[in-house]
Formats: sequence, structure tokens, C-alpha cells
Amino acid sequence: MIRIAAVGDVHLDEDVVGRFRPALEELPDCADVLLLAGDLTRHGTEAEARCVAQEFGGLGVPVVTVLGNHDHQCDEVPQVVKVLEDAGITVLEGNGVVLDCAGGRLGVAGVKGFGGGFAGRCASDFGEPEMKAFVRTTTDSADRLSRALRSLDCDVLVALTHYAPVPDTLAGEPLEIYPFLGAYQLGQAIDSAPTALALHGHAHAGSERGTTPGGVRVRNVAHPVIKQAYSVFHLGDHLDQGEVSRMSVSGT
Amino acid sequence: MSQHRETGIGPPDEYVEAEIHRLLAEDPSVAEQGITVVRRETGLVLYGEVESAHRREEILRRVAERFPGVPVTAEIGVIRTEAPTQIEQLP
Repeated sequence: MIRIAAVGDVHLDEDVVGRFRPALEELPDCADVLLLAGDLTRHGTEAEARCVAQEFGGLGVPVVTVLGNHDHQCDEVPQVVKVLEDAGITVLEGNGVVLDCAGGRLGVAGVKGFGGGFAGRCASDFGEPEMKAFVRTTTDSADRLSRALRSLDCDVLVALTHYAPVPDTLAGEPLEIYPFLGAYQLGQAIDSAPTALALHGHAHAGSERGTTPGGVRVRNVAHPVIKQAYSVFHLGDHLDQGEVSRMSVSGT
Repeated sequence: MSQHRETGIGPPDEYVEAEIHRLLAEDPSVAEQGITVVRRETGLVLYGEVESAHRREEILRRVAERFPGVPVTAEIGVIRTEAPTQIEQLP
């Protein structure tokens, strides 16, 4: 069994430092890894990244993240990535990592992703250069996610994005803004590999659970959706199918 | 567009709602995209969740500053950060 803790959209700045830490200190007892689904900061400044490093660094479990749209706001992505990596946080964008856990090898592939919408109601690579650039940003991101997922040699494969790969986990958001919240191409990328679980954030008013057309479980772990410091998922073949959500026993 | 319009005068309308939405996202001191603005006869109601009490106060302060004549009430919560008491098993 592999134990994954995950949260997204924590939007750290000085006013939030310390709020997550007491719950994060419990992670070594209940998870093998912490995955962060982007929007770690409010504006993507180096100073805010230092707040993230302070809050999510040195936890005793590996921390793997993708960036979100907020983390791009101030055009300081290289500085943000450096601060996070200096704190031991692995930042994924079109690549993956394999972690040796007690329950097997966990592969995580990640991209930020982008918008565009969902099958039959999406933007097309047609018309003005701006629209083509928009859609090509999405397809390029999905292609890189697919390649990263298929490149990993592991026992359990997880896809980590900021934008949503399916509309299921957007339920609660206004339909009109779905094209800004995710894209079906990300779901297609997830279905192109033997993915066990897909985690995303970005949709603060969305809902927790969905599946891709190919049947991969999708979870929206945006902090405003899960309303706790992080969610914990147990993945493994031997788990009881009927026990979808049980009370944890002494934090494990 | 907004500079040609006398804000704060008359009842809230769709343009005020749109401006508040953009203000909350684009104002560097707020940068919140998850706040819902609902128009009521009595004024505007803001719903949503933020990461700190300071951010809730900042939202109210900025909206009141920009639209001084519009009554605004807020139902904005600060998101809990407790450790989970349940796990989800994915066989």
C-alpha cells in the first residue's frame, strides 16, 4: 500500500505561515509523500516562495509539486522554483519522479496544465493567433504530461496537475468558466498511461471526486474544496473495495 | 471602461458585479479568484473562502473603498487547516 497526502491552492504569504504546520508535522505517521497541486503562492514572488519553503520544507516525507497560475503572476518562476528546490521540494513540469516507498515504487508525473474546456465545448486551434496560442499551450502541456507518465518505471502511477483534467470535479463552479478551469486533453494524457490516480487543484468551488473517460480516479484537492490541511489516499491492490472512506486508526 | 462611470451612485448593477470580480482577482493586495458576488436588493453579498482573516478584511476594505455607496456584506470563511480524520482507500 502506498499512502499519498495531497493539497493544492494553499496560496501562501506571510499571513498564512504556520497555519498548516501542526497538521504537516503529522505527515511522517500517515503518508509516504506529500503532493502539492499548484498555486502554492498568491502572486508567485520569491518572497512568497520562501514562505512555502518554510511551511512545506523539512517535513520528513518527500514533497513533490507542480506550479499553478498564481505562481506565474509575477514572472518569477525560475526564482520560485529555485527557492522550492533549495528547500528539498521537487518541482515537476513535463517530467516525473519515482519514489521508493515502503509499499512499492510511486511514480509521479506533473504539469501545470492549462484551460480550454471539455469535449464538445472547448476552444479549437483555429482563427486568431491568440486563440491558436491558447489551445496550443494546452495541447503542448497535455503532450508533455503523457510523455512523462509513459516514461516512468514504477508500481503505482499518479498524475499531478493544477488545472482539471475532467469536468466531474468542477461541479459547483459556474459552467461558463469551465474552459478556464481545465481541459479534456489533460484527461486524454492521463488515460494514455496506466495511471492509478490523478490529482489537481485550481477549482476552488468544485467537488472532490471524478473519473476520466478511461476510468482513472480524479480528485480535486484544492484546499477550499477539501477544507482540511491535506487529504490522504491509500493506493494498493489488496485494499477492500467497499471501504471507500474509513476513519483512520491512530493516524495511519 | 470603468473610469467613465460614476461608481457608488445608484443601485448595484452587473457592471459593479463584474468590476468587483476583477478587482478581487487583479488587485495585488487581494488576488482572490474564488469569491462569489451576489446582487441582492439590499446590496452586494460576497461569498467564498480565504486562507487568513487578514485576507477577508482586506477584501472588504478594498471593495468598500472602491464602491463607497454600495452596501456590502460578507459571508467569507477562513479555511480550516486541521489534519484529516479520515483517509480514502483507492483499491
